[in-house]
Amino acid sequence: MNLKSIYPPHGIRIYWGPMLRIRFHGRGGQGVKTSSRILGRAAFLAGFLAQDSPIYGAERRGAPVVAFTRISDSVILERGFIFNPHIVVVMDESLIGDWLARPLEGLLRGGVALINTAQAGAPLEVSDSHVVVRLNITDEALKIIGRPVISAPAAASAAKITGLIRKKQVLEATVEELTELGLAEETVEKNLRLVSEVYDMTPHHSIKINEEPSRSLEVVDLRSDRVVFSDILEVGNAYLRKTGNWRVFTPVVDYGRCTGCMVCYVYCPDSAVKLDPDKKPVIDYENCKGCLICVLECPMRAITFVREAKAYA
Amino acid sequence: METRFKTLREFPLDEYLSPGATMCAGCGGMIVLRIFHKALGGNVVIVNAAGCLTLLQVYPYTPLKSSWMYTAFASAPAGAQGIRDALDILMEKGKLPQGEDLKVVVLTGDGAAYDIGLQSSSGAIERGLDFYYLVYDNEAYGNTGFQRSGATPFGSSTTTTPPTNLNPAGYSGMKKDLFEIWRSHNPPYLATIAPSHVVDMLRKIETASGFRGPKLFISLSPCPTGWGFDPSETIKLSRLAVECGVWPLKEAVYGKVRHTVVPKVLKPVEEYLRRQNRYAHLFTPTRQEEAINFIQEKVNEYWLKVSATEGHEVIKPINLAEKQTE
Repeated sequence: MNLKSIYPPHGIRIYWGPMLRIRFHGRGGQGVKTSSRILGRAAFLAGFLAQDSPIYGAERRGAPVVAFTRISDSVILERGFIFNPHIVVVMDESLIGDWLARPLEGLLRGGVALINTAQAGAPLEVSDSHVVVRLNITDEALKIIGRPVISAPAAASAAKITGLIRKKQVLEATVEELTELGLAEETVEKNLRLVSEVYDMTPHHSIKINEEPSRSLEVVDLRSDRVVFSDILEVGNAYLRKTGNWRVFTPVVDYGRCTGCMVCYVYCPDSAVKLDPDKKPVIDYENCKGCLICVLECPMRAITFVREAKAYA
Repeated sequence: METRFKTLREFPLDEYLSPGATMCAGCGGMIVLRIFHKALGGNVVIVNAAGCLTLLQVYPYTPLKSSWMYTAFASAPAGAQGIRDALDILMEKGKLPQGEDLKVVVLTGDGAAYDIGLQSSSGAIERGLDFYYLVYDNEAYGNTGFQRSGATPFGSSTTTTPPTNLNPAGYSGMKKDLFEIWRSHNPPYLATIAPSHVVDMLRKIETASGFRGPKLFISLSPCPTGWGFDPSETIKLSRLAVECGVWPLKEAVYGKVRHTVVPKVLKPVEEYLRRQNRYAHLFTPTRQEEAINFIQEKVNEYWLKVSATEGHEVIKPINLAEKQTE
């Protein structure tokens, strides 16, 4: 093999191997990295070789985060990002509309998109190209744990879809991983209940992947027009990021009770509360991250919150 | 002193940070930066050492409406010196109108202020550089996953000081007293601030702007991700830190210290500690009475000294012996 075939000049070549590739998309704080670890460990306990890694970078609680798991019965030599996964786990449905995250990109033909969604819909939808599995993991987590942390159940669900891993192995992996993180026994216990529930909820589906020829990814040329943003000449342009899709809960103002004391405006970390001429708050939902400081601090209890549920493509 | 900030009604309405920054939801540092910027106005250049807030600017986006320069961990005050000198020289030569002068603000986390950038801050204060220094102190290296820093307090669990059999209390050292380190340089103005006490913060910034030379601020910055609490409780925790006496609000003008918020009765520190996962090991599975009492004793000691030297009404500390017999 010469160097040229490994590093072709115009793209990255993806080789097909006897290996299952799973990509996790979620938001910082949901447990994306832990999820990929639990799945990896469960696969290992089931007798496979496994590899897992998150993308390290500027991720924050709420920001889009990606992690990868590879499962194989032989040594895994492949490293780096997974561009063409067999399974994508979308732990936050709002990511589907996020042009930076693009969770469904590169999903192989016949691959499974596992989507955590509050939307009603068929739990299993098989089409010519893809299989879509819809589960409401967040609501289950809120019911059992009381917080929207879904690392273990998302791993459980993905494990079942691989068709290679039993519930017992996921439970064992969950205990080991969560204990390693220093979680209290009670919390681990609740996670196990959640794992068990979600594993059973996940529909049976034996994954069949049509082999695809290796393909090259497009490399963006820095001189091309595509990477030029006219907006960069503008100061304070971060509002274009639209961090509003980080939210799990949405604050709602009851204007009948609001006295215009400005407390919510003062304490908003993201300048996402604006004031109207009467000094009443107007929440910028395109950018509010849903930290809910305003809900807690409002002296009149005029701000409440509802669970974010929005339809995405 | 005369002040234009008496209540939240006087809160400045001009906005210098746009929404959409990539900080965690509920970030305490962001609240402080936003209010700090409002108090200073628009003519500001921020010199930012490596830390969480350097990620405000990720190409092609920036939430700031002011200028910004990024430096390495150790060298933000040195960068500020360069900018200050350049502005002064340009104005002296008449190449820059006086009206376009900028306030130079150094913005660093506790890692840069307490550890890596300590010597360059010391040098800048010693040279009498005319600048503002704002530290957002979340008591660990939050950007890289919450490792211990010089600002980490006793008993906090971090990724490098987890509770172990040898050290069941987590971090066994004490938080560096940066306020006293800086005060020994005798700067014109030095203060601690907290995001919950906004009017106090605005007044201090207003007072500071009357001085020429180093104007230094250390702000508590509750960190939902690192400290382990719900993002909605950022302000609540900041308030508790002040009310429990863990984070004293004070100022020093040419070295003379005055406490600006004096709790009449201290709340037990437990109320503050209990709400954070980084102290969870002090309460479960077994309660580490000794460690909790030690933290309380240190707080009591501090405030007794304050009431003795500043002649405040005697602050009633938490009596540990009394508490145990209850």
